[in-house]
Parts: sequence; C-alpha cells; structure tokens
Amino acid sequence: MPREYGPVKPGRKWLKEGVARIVFFVLGRAFQSAARMDEGIRREVAQWEEGFRLAMRILPDGPSMGLTKRDGRIRYVGEGSVDADLVIRFKNIESAFLVLTPQMGSARAFAENRIGLVGDVARSMSFVRCLDRLLAYMYPAFICNRLVKRMPQIKRPFRRRLYLYVLGIPFGI
Amino acid sequence: MLPSSFEFHNPVKIISGYKVLDNLPYELSQMGAERPLIITDRGVVEAGLVRIVRSAFDSSGMTIGAVYDDVPPDSSVDTVNAIADVYRKNQCDSLVAVGGGSPIDTAKGVNILVSHEKGTLKDYMGADRLSGPLKPLVVVPTTAGTGSEVTLVAVIADTRDNVKMAFVSRHLMPDVALLDPRMTLTMPAKITASTGMDALSHAMEAWVGLQKNPLSDAHATAAITLIRHYLPLAIADGKDRTARLALANASCMAGAAFSNSMVGMVHALGHAAGAVCHIPHGVAMGIFLPHGLRYNLLKRADIIGELLLPFAGADIYAATPSAQRADRLIALLVEFQRFLKEKAGLPMRLKDAGVRDDQLGAIALKAINDGALMMNPAEMDMDDARRLLAEAF
Repeated sequence: MPREYGPVKPGRKWLKEGVARIVFFVLGRAFQSAARMDEGIRREVAQWEEGFRLAMRILPDGPSMGLTKRDGRIRYVGEGSVDADLVIRFKNIESAFLVLTPQMGSARAFAENRIGLVGDVARSMSFVRCLDRLLAYMYPAFICNRLVKRMPQIKRPFRRRLYLYVLGIPFGI
Repeated sequence: MLPSSFEFHNPVKIISGYKVLDNLPYELSQMGAERPLIITDRGVVEAGLVRIVRSAFDSSGMTIGAVYDDVPPDSSVDTVNAIADVYRKNQCDSLVAVGGGSPIDTAKGVNILVSHEKGTLKDYMGADRLSGPLKPLVVVPTTAGTGSEVTLVAVIADTRDNVKMAFVSRHLMPDVALLDPRMTLTMPAKITASTGMDALSHAMEAWVGLQKNPLSDAHATAAITLIRHYLPLAIADGKDRTARLALANASCMAGAAFSNSMVGMVHALGHAAGAVCHIPHGVAMGIFLPHGLRYNLLKRADIIGELLLPFAGADIYAATPSAQRADRLIALLVEFQRFLKEKAGLPMRLKDAGVRDDQLGAIALKAINDGALMMNPAEMDMDDARRLLAEAF
C-alpha cells in the first residue's frame, strides 16, 4: 500500500502572537506618551518629517504596530503599514518574542540578524535612540541595562514611570 | 566570542591573480551576457587601465556596448541617470565597473535603474527596497581599499537635495570580482596609503563590532596580516606586483568581513567628515581608526587586544601581557600612522586634512545618525562625538 503525501497546514503560535500584540500596544502607547513627556525623545522626533510613518512587523504573517507623526506629535495607530517610511521587521515570531519580552536588546537583535530594516537608515538610528530612552522608563535599571549599550540619563524617573503606566499606556495621554 | 546566531552572505565569485582580467569575457558569457557597458572615470582612463580592460575583449567575439568614462569622484543621481540612458540606448545586457568606490557605487546605482521597469533611484533608497536579481555586474577594482566588489551597499549623492543616499540590498552584490594587480600598479603612494587604511579600518571594525562572527573574523584577521606586511612594501615600490596583489586580496577580504559584520564609529565619523568637509574617505579612516579603537576600549579591550597578533605578529603578541595588548596595538597603530605620514604624506590629524574647527559640530551631528554606529560596541552621543573629534583635530 503506497503512502499518501499531501499538503501540511502549519498551526499558529497563538500565545506568542498574543504576547507580541500586547507588547506592541504597550510600546505604541508608551512611545506616544513619552514623546510628549521626555525632552530627549521630543528632540529626536522634532527632526522627523511631518507625516512620517514607522512600523514594526513580525514576518512573515505576524502582528504589527504603527506610529505616525501628525501635527508635530507621535501617534500610535494600531496596525503598522507595510509601506511605511521605516519598517522594522522581526524575521520570525521567536526572534520577536525574545526582543519584546524583553530578553534581548535591539542592538544585539540587529547584530544577530533577527531584525531587518526597510527604509531610511538615519531615521532608524534616531528611532533606536528614542527606544533606548523609552526602555529606561518602561523597565527597572537592572533589566534595561541588559538591553541598551549605555543607560540613558532620564529626569524624574519615578514620577514619569508612574505617569506612563497610569495614564500614558491606558489612555494614550 | 561566539554569537548565539549569525549570518554570512558572500555570493561574489572572486578571481585573483596576475592577468586574471583576461577572464572577463568568459565570466560574462557564463552569465549569458555579451554586450557589457563599461563604467569608469577619467583617472582610470588616464592611467591607461581602460586600455587593459578593452584588450581583454580582443578575440572574444563580444561587443562592448559602450564605455562611459566620466564618473565624477562622488557618484551622483544625475550621473547614474545619464549612464542608464547610455545602457538602454546601446542595448547593453550587463555592467563592468572599473575603478575605485565611485565607479563601483555608480554601477550598482545604474544596475538598480536598468533592472527595474520603472521608478527613480530615490524609490529604492534605504535598506532592502530592491527586488532582484539585477543584471550581471562584474567589478574590477583599481584601488585596494573600498572592498565594494564584495559589499551590498552603494552610496550615491543627490546633489540637488545635498544628501547622500544609501542603498543596502543583497541584490547589489556584484556577480564577479576580478582582482588583477596590473590595475593598481600606477596608484600614487598617498592613495595607496589612504586606501590601505580604509581596508585596515574595515577589517578592524568588523573584528571589534557587535556583529562579529567566526567567518567575518577569519576574513578580518587575514586582511590585517596582509595589510601590515604589504602596505609599507607597496608604498616603497608601487610596481611591486606581489604587494599589490596582496593588498587587493586584503581589501577584498576586509570588504567581505565588514559586509557581514558591519563597521562602526570610525566609519560613522568618516562618512560624516566626508559629507561635511569633503575629505577623502581613506584619509578620514587613517585619522579616526586609533581614536575609535581607544573609545571602544571600555567595552571591548580584550577583543581589541587580540588584534595585536595579526597586526604585530606572534613575537610581539606573545611578549605582551594580555592586559596590555590593546594599548600596545593602539600605540603601534599610531606608529603606523606616523610612518604613512612620513613616507606617503597621509595626514594624522583633521586640521592637516583641511577640516576647520567650526565644522566639528556638523560632523558630530551627522555621525550620530549614521547607520554604521548601530553595530559599534560603545554608545556615542553628540557630546562623545564632539569630544572625540576635538581629540582628532
């Protein structure tokens, strides 16, 4: 009796996708809020052109997150656009999970080719500097230290962290 | 130090040796091409090198579609557009770049345009925006420094908006690189020195950077050993074929190393200094290399110290305690700089290269936005960059 061979439909990693969606939401809202609150991020974002669109995507078919600069301010827009001006692409859900959970920093993830870029390289440098500052608000120093090359100096960390978690992330303000 | 994962991609066929240029028609025919466009610059023509390339086609039965020999020192969008028109008008089917960084980058830019049905160069700017594969591209370097024959990058100036557009894609990798020492025999000592320092900085930054991996390390250390030994010989006697071939190989290996491990702050500063003050890239590399290594000591002293073996040889390496190797390397590098200044007139300081004090701020601002900084081990912000530039001034 010959064996039957046919198509195989792979499953989905629902749990990791779910975690990624939540982290993308938190990251997007936190960025929106921190871009108003933190002078370092504000200075960087001021250099971005009006209408600039940034997306983070998990390849090949995972969740995504988008940020846009509108009226001089950064806004979290939910799903990221495929043809955004700068797209930061995780090559697979496992790599995304490592970075988003956060077990690995963005520089190391780039170095290990777990993340790829599409678009303007200079803007990506500016975004990474913003991300480093954002991480300093989002995580305690002992975690953040492992994710960034040098711990960013932030003012009033306790007050601002509180603001970010109580108002920034839940209400986007 | 082994990364938990890495990628190494180098699909370029590398052919190295005396008179290997005569393989050019064969290599083109292997890719189904029979009507190449040769892209080069006036300097290459005046050095008599295009004659050597043309004679390689004798008895081949092929037709050279056209020879575009007017590429400016900094390749520009206008030049790329003009050459793409020449390519189409003459029904060419492949490209041969003969020259240093500018003709090679220009050829990569032309390849983007002639391989895509529509769009302008700007539409493909940035990382990974190209769909491939592109038309066959053969590169014949006439300097030993850029490593462009094995890299996935092209930088082309948009003179109207005064910006340098970077293109990064695996599809930009040439198909074949022909390293023939005949093509570098006429290079003056100063250019030999500056391009040699460019190659050395590629190798050293690839070794030090966050993306280093066992394969890039092997290419980097082999390149450093060759440069240390043969660069002084090529400066002493430009006609030394062995030295020229060794440097061509070193430059190519250093290119493969940094194409897979990235460069770092030395290049970020060098690109910025080039953009603001128009100082030649190799000159900038020669100036910034020891400063960049010293800056990274805080994070990677052990790794930098290991470079003493390929750069100084086994005897000096073995006689130097491990804690002192990094400092010894930097001291020897400064000595090497002095040697190149004395024998070839290569500047050691920014002011000697024509940079003005009031330009340092603009260089710092450009440097911190340069993509090369991403893989540099130590963080460099605006204040750090200003401090380092003041030291190098």
